[in-house]
Amino acid sequence: MMRNYWEIYKKFVSTSTTMAMSFRLPFVLLIVMDLCFYFTSLLTIDFIFNHIQHMGPWNRDQLMFFMAFMLLLDNLHMTFVSESFWELSMMLKTGQFDYVVLRPMNTLFSTFFRFFRPSTMLNFPIAVGVLIHYGLKIGLAPSAWALLPVFVILSFILLIQVEFIITTSMFWVIDGLGINFLRMQFQKLARWPNFVYASMPRRVFTLIFPILVIGSAPVSFLIDQSKWYWPLGLVTSIIVLGFVLSFLWTTGIRRYESASS
Amino acid sequence: MSHLLCLSTFCKKMAEKGQIGQTPAMKNSTALIQANGLTKQFVSYKKEAGLKGTLKGFFNRESVVKTAVGQFDFEVQKGEIIGLLGPNGAGKTTLMKMFTGIIVPSAGELKVLGHNPWERSKDFRKKIALVMGQKSQLWWDIPAMDSFLLLQKYYEINDRDFKQRIDMMSELLDVKKLMHIQIRRLSLGERMKLELMASLLHSPEVLFLDEPTIGLDLVAQENIRQFIINYHKQNQCSIIITSHYMADVQALCQRLTLILDGKKGFDGPLTQFEKILGNEKVVSFTFEKAIDPLLPLWKGLDPKWNELNNQVELRIPENELRKISGQIIEQFPVIDFATEKMPIERVMKTLMNNPKLLSEYNA
Amino acid sequence: MNSIPKWLETIRISISKVMAYRLNFLLQIIGPTLVFFFIKYNLWSSIYQGDRTILISGYTLTAMLAYHTWGLVVELLASGFTAMNLSEDIRLGRISTYLIYPFNFWEFHTASFIGFQITQVFIALVTFGAVALSGLIEVPMFTLLVKGFSYTLFISFLWFVMNYGIGLLAFWLEDTWILKVILMVISSFLSGAILPLDLFPAGLVEVLKWTPFPYLSYYPIKIFMGVEPNYLFAIGVMTGWMALITYCNHLVWKKGMKLYTAAGM
Repeated sequence: MMRNYWEIYKKFVSTSTTMAMSFRLPFVLLIVMDLCFYFTSLLTIDFIFNHIQHMGPWNRDQLMFFMAFMLLLDNLHMTFVSESFWELSMMLKTGQFDYVVLRPMNTLFSTFFRFFRPSTMLNFPIAVGVLIHYGLKIGLAPSAWALLPVFVILSFILLIQVEFIITTSMFWVIDGLGINFLRMQFQKLARWPNFVYASMPRRVFTLIFPILVIGSAPVSFLIDQSKWYWPLGLVTSIIVLGFVLSFLWTTGIRRYESASS
Repeated sequence: MSHLLCLSTFCKKMAEKGQIGQTPAMKNSTALIQANGLTKQFVSYKKEAGLKGTLKGFFNRESVVKTAVGQFDFEVQKGEIIGLLGPNGAGKTTLMKMFTGIIVPSAGELKVLGHNPWERSKDFRKKIALVMGQKSQLWWDIPAMDSFLLLQKYYEINDRDFKQRIDMMSELLDVKKLMHIQIRRLSLGERMKLELMASLLHSPEVLFLDEPTIGLDLVAQENIRQFIINYHKQNQCSIIITSHYMADVQALCQRLTLILDGKKGFDGPLTQFEKILGNEKVVSFTFEKAIDPLLPLWKGLDPKWNELNNQVELRIPENELRKISGQIIEQFPVIDFATEKMPIERVMKTLMNNPKLLSEYNA
Repeated sequence: MNSIPKWLETIRISISKVMAYRLNFLLQIIGPTLVFFFIKYNLWSSIYQGDRTILISGYTLTAMLAYHTWGLVVELLASGFTAMNLSEDIRLGRISTYLIYPFNFWEFHTASFIGFQITQVFIALVTFGAVALSGLIEVPMFTLLVKGFSYTLFISFLWFVMNYGIGLLAFWLEDTWILKVILMVISSFLSGAILPLDLFPAGLVEVLKWTPFPYLSYYPIKIFMGVEPNYLFAIGVMTGWMALITYCNHLVWKKGMKLYTAAGM
């Protein structure tokens, strides 16, 4: 069963790569696009800290570390799932989603992991490098280094769960393009630490719709390991959202009306 | 929201709970497909033209409920080839999508291979295949073989079966050379062959073909038909085919179901369908020169004249065939004539223009 | 002069289209701008830690929030149009229709842009009304307001020619959205939409003066806030860029058409 999915995933990767390689210019431009994004994101923080000492409880390097963490998540997101969201909105519009429904396998898997972006994967070492650089600067403890990869994976899982849940609304609102833009708004919100937000939105986005947990939980804990409640919150969020997602997705698929050909 | 919408969502909910649309007992439990009172309704919103209408629609939408399929009863036995026939928008595709579990019925009962299609159990999905003439499951930018390999993984087909089926079908369809070319460089006919192949790799028990020959030229249509016949002979799977080309149905189907406006119009053997209009023959005459089409002789024979008025097609009752053709040959300068069975196209056209004929027949 | 009805009708249809995809419109154009503003509002409040007396590069918290509030109005007014249809027209071969119509491709898309812009003016005005009432900004003198709005509408044309140019690259490029995102990322940073340029290193600002970027956000915001620039210089640089880009677009179009008609794509 797992092996079969692994076999399928390998095919997804290889077909996506074949396709991506046949368009050479976009392949290169995607890399440039991401690098521009990383660069301006980091530069924004740098410029702000030219004029201030602290933001909330954090100094320049700590905030840079946070941003580097979020950029690495973005890199994983761009590589493994991002394209599928846009494809889904197209497939729902054209009725091409029929074929996803027909295949004998988990539809969440075949919807969201279908498209792989090899070009963004080439930026992976850069994203990791930046994270390590700032990790060294803030002097992470050895135990924190060991936990870092685990947190990257957990945060990535929470991020995509949140995004899958948002995307499920495409079954109700056929215009999926708008939903994709909404999804990107939430990404933007999560790209700043939770303490930036006033208390009301902070509570809503931490406890009810936990997008601020994605970055703030692991980084807060890695910086100060006495804050054990953060990783606990992260894991709890993943479990709860897992149930919410599977319920919503099943309901959504039943709502699917299939565009007439 | 209008009352209608509320009603339809209500119906939908009830149907999901299985509380309405249940007919007491299924007539035949061995049937491959069994549908009773199958219904599908869609809700859409009115949009008025013009800026004013748009502004109005922005704040207040009016919903419209459309019944695509209503109270449809249907049964298919193992190994049958059945044609679903009907004009555009009659509900053929909606039916196919319900059969394959892509959309959930609003009401009624449906079993395909013993499954509720919309539960979409993995087991069910492995036993069916759907080919849509208007959509492609093959990947535009890569060769078909890559798509096939992906499908092999999807359906967990072992390498030996996979290879054997590819060899067999590519031989039958004559596509050996096409499998390694990017799909977008192929013609529609070539692509359709590969679409068929893709759907048959897992040897489905039921094959749904939704307008498989649409847009193809005559030769390509013929190729596809021939392949389906051969494939059916070898594999004995059941095939449900929709089309609006009568030639498809005539070549492939033993049984035919006619859908008009979401309802079943006729269901029976092809031969019977042709007889709906009575025992008539179609005879065409070609004349040396133009003939007056208004003569009383033509009355009641449903004449179809060409533009030059030197050729006519008549529908003549079998028992008067000799008499009438004799008269025509005597009175006019006939240079050629031919007789044939009532072409199914004409039967369809006549039926669509007067649905009464059907209800008379069914009664 | 008989082309005016064609323009008017195209503008009208463009407005209808925007309204028809209302949810999309809300989520795609207005939503991002509002969220962006929401983040910046929170971010700066947190940076100043609510202290209204601290100065950062000459900005008090009140001034910084006013800067970003005006940024919201400017963004809504100037840069909503994405010209996505344009590349789609090219990629899907719909361009042939325009070759037959007695109404040119650029005319159609410029008219669509104007129609879109009309809805945007409406939205920007509503937004302006809301933020004026909320007290986030000082309501400027009427003449200044008129100057600010006119200047911003002028910029929207600069945005349009840039987006149009990128859209035209669809003749060669499967995904023009990548270029659009690159333009967006770079320009939102270099134009002062994220941070006021006063926070940038002075040398960088000096160089930026000769690019179109600062004129897209920083300048109009400053006008609304009562700091008027050297209009002659600003408009001069922008017009120069606009002329250059329009000329390039013309060349790209000609080349693309040659490709299109020769190969049938």
